[in-house]
Amino acid sequence: MLAAVGPPAARRPDPQRYAMAKQQQTVLERQYSRLGLLLIAPTVLVFCAVIAYPLVSAIYLSLFKIFTPTLEGTWVGLDNYRTLLVKGEFWTSLRANLIWTVGTLTLQIIFGVGMALVLHQNIWFRSLARSLILFPYFISTVVAVLVWKWLFNDLYGILNHLMISAGLIDWPIDYLGTMPNAMISVILVGAWKYFPFVVIAVLARLQSIPDQLYEAARIDGAGPIARFFDVTLPQLREVLVVIIMLRAIWDFKEFDLIFLLTGGGPVTSTQTLPLVVYKEAFALNQMGMAAAYAVIMMLIMLVFMILYMRRTQREDT
Amino acid sequence: MKNPSMISKGISRRGALQGLVATTAVAAMPMRASAQDVTLRWWSPQGAPAQVDAYMAQIAAFEAANPGIKVVFETTSDEGYAPQLAAAFSSGEVPDIVTHLPSFAIQSYYANGLVEPFNDVIEAIGADDYYPGANDVFKAADGNYVGTGIGNSAANMLWLRKDLMAEAGISDAPRTWDALRSACQAMQKNGIYGAPLPYGRNSMTTLIFVGVIHQAGGQVFDTDLNVALDNQATRDALEFYASMRELCPPGATNYSWGEAITAFVSGATATGIYTGRVLGNVNAQNPPIADSVTCVTYPTKSAEIPAWTFNDFPSVFIPKQSNNIGAAKAFAASLFNPDGYIQQLHAAPGHVLPVLKSINNNPAYQSNDIIQKYPAEVELMSQAAAGGFNLGYESANHPSNDKAGEVVGSGVIADMVQRVVLNGENADQVIGETTAAIDSIMNG
Repeated sequence: MLAAVGPPAARRPDPQRYAMAKQQQTVLERQYSRLGLLLIAPTVLVFCAVIAYPLVSAIYLSLFKIFTPTLEGTWVGLDNYRTLLVKGEFWTSLRANLIWTVGTLTLQIIFGVGMALVLHQNIWFRSLARSLILFPYFISTVVAVLVWKWLFNDLYGILNHLMISAGLIDWPIDYLGTMPNAMISVILVGAWKYFPFVVIAVLARLQSIPDQLYEAARIDGAGPIARFFDVTLPQLREVLVVIIMLRAIWDFKEFDLIFLLTGGGPVTSTQTLPLVVYKEAFALNQMGMAAAYAVIMMLIMLVFMILYMRRTQREDT
Repeated sequence: MKNPSMISKGISRRGALQGLVATTAVAAMPMRASAQDVTLRWWSPQGAPAQVDAYMAQIAAFEAANPGIKVVFETTSDEGYAPQLAAAFSSGEVPDIVTHLPSFAIQSYYANGLVEPFNDVIEAIGADDYYPGANDVFKAADGNYVGTGIGNSAANMLWLRKDLMAEAGISDAPRTWDALRSACQAMQKNGIYGAPLPYGRNSMTTLIFVGVIHQAGGQVFDTDLNVALDNQATRDALEFYASMRELCPPGATNYSWGEAITAFVSGATATGIYTGRVLGNVNAQNPPIADSVTCVTYPTKSAEIPAWTFNDFPSVFIPKQSNNIGAAKAFAASLFNPDGYIQQLHAAPGHVLPVLKSINNNPAYQSNDIIQKYPAEVELMSQAAAGGFNLGYESANHPSNDKAGEVVGSGVIADMVQRVVLNGENADQVIGETTAAIDSIMNG
């Protein structure tokens, strides 16, 4: 029996010394744990200050009716949530939000992966092209929107001018003031602005795929398309998961680009939830209602995150 | 050559800390010194380069006369001032003086205890020097003045090209909607559109359409401030606005103030709708049409309905949370000193019109090239603006509406225009829903 097996008596530690060592170890452990707490305290404090406090604060604000300029309010409980859920504006904005997010994210992934594949090839001016491709991502959104508004302009815009000159249209196209043009334009500009992020991430992953995999595929007779779907895409899966997750969150809460391009119009066709939050908080001066919208937005993103993480976990297992 | 280890040995931890403390103390010294001075922050949405130059001259004159007071000018925008001020008020980081905001915005702030009464500043400027009734729009329910006008503006003047009218065989400026439509139809050719009316989801569409409702003989609120939209006048206004859509550029669906003035000044539209800023811009940016430009008050549904001019009553006011109210009031009064005030008005001649009789009669003000070139137009705008109204003050019989700023900010009136004109929704239903939405804001 294992219990009967023990060290020889000569090697057995002195119980007193053993107890002292044990006590010293306990003291040391306590000191280490205190030090550990001390060391992680700044992180915990920063976490509380920048994440926990605003989150709790937003939830707390959402239970009040608050006049923004004075921040004076009255307790309304869940009334703000009840009101917004029965409001058509919430559902139309959520719909616009989802169309925008899915549309622009899809295009970002397609353009981003495509461009990364091109820039991965041994082409002329590759370094220059890799630098220039980042330009839309680094440019200020305000500047980008101004440029696009000029391109879209009905009277002086180059797009309308070229299309009229080419005889494709007789009258200028109203890109931002009618549907579905406005939504399509916003989605396209969003894709143009943010696809370089996908390019950077995918290009980095492409450079680390072993050449042997492609060689083996070639030996097996795989053509370029088969190599892309059977080698490249599976290798990109993990990085694409991260990109889609991050960009979905960022696109879902995108504000400045849409606000500056269309202001949410025509009517509320491109009005996403962040624009409603802004309108409630600063145009209608209803900070409590704005906080309620923001909390609902967070919950929606949380649901997507959980579903997405569960799915990826299931695929991993 | 120095030995790096000697350098590192020469700086002890205590020494480094002492150095850090000494550096911090030195860095703090100028801050303490400057804290003894007063710095005033001045916000305005009117930030054209010439106007900013005029403001700088006014600031320089005030600073020279008041050593120890510094004024910093910061630009806001017509579409952005409301959120910026809401954030400023809620954070307590307010500007010390704000100019050129519409009167209805201040009434709303004053009603919530955010604005300092302005009575003493008006007295300092000279209450008798104002045109009669010029400050009525700034009178609050408690009898105090919430601010004062820094100028008048006639924001919905109809601008016309006499050369295009002559080509189209139009002899008289349109007085009614029918005449305007016919004129625009006749002049819309060769790549030139009839009018640049705004159909965007913005405050310009709201403010211009409020004027159109009045031009149809209607009003948004009755004299008890109940919503009074649901009537034939609003339906007529929507019908007129919809009928003008085909006479406006395709992109008018997104037009605000900037696009509207550019369309007329560049020659892309035969008529325009704007303040007197058109005069300066045409002369600077498109001189070939400068001699052909004129303006009239915007037409109404029928000749029996009087013109209704939208005057936002560009204002001056002082937030109550300012730490330098005394200095801010002194600076506010100094903005009306003749030299600086005239320079400011000349920066956009005809755009912001004087509220003081002594300034309008001052030869220095009248000597401006633009004012001399277009005396009839400037005089007409002055008269129209003096008798003008806005959503916060719809008529002389209306009390001040301190919710007007929120109604404009909500965009419900612009939404109503877009839903009926662009989406073709049923006007009765949309008017009903808009009435309910405004009611909700009024009672909110």
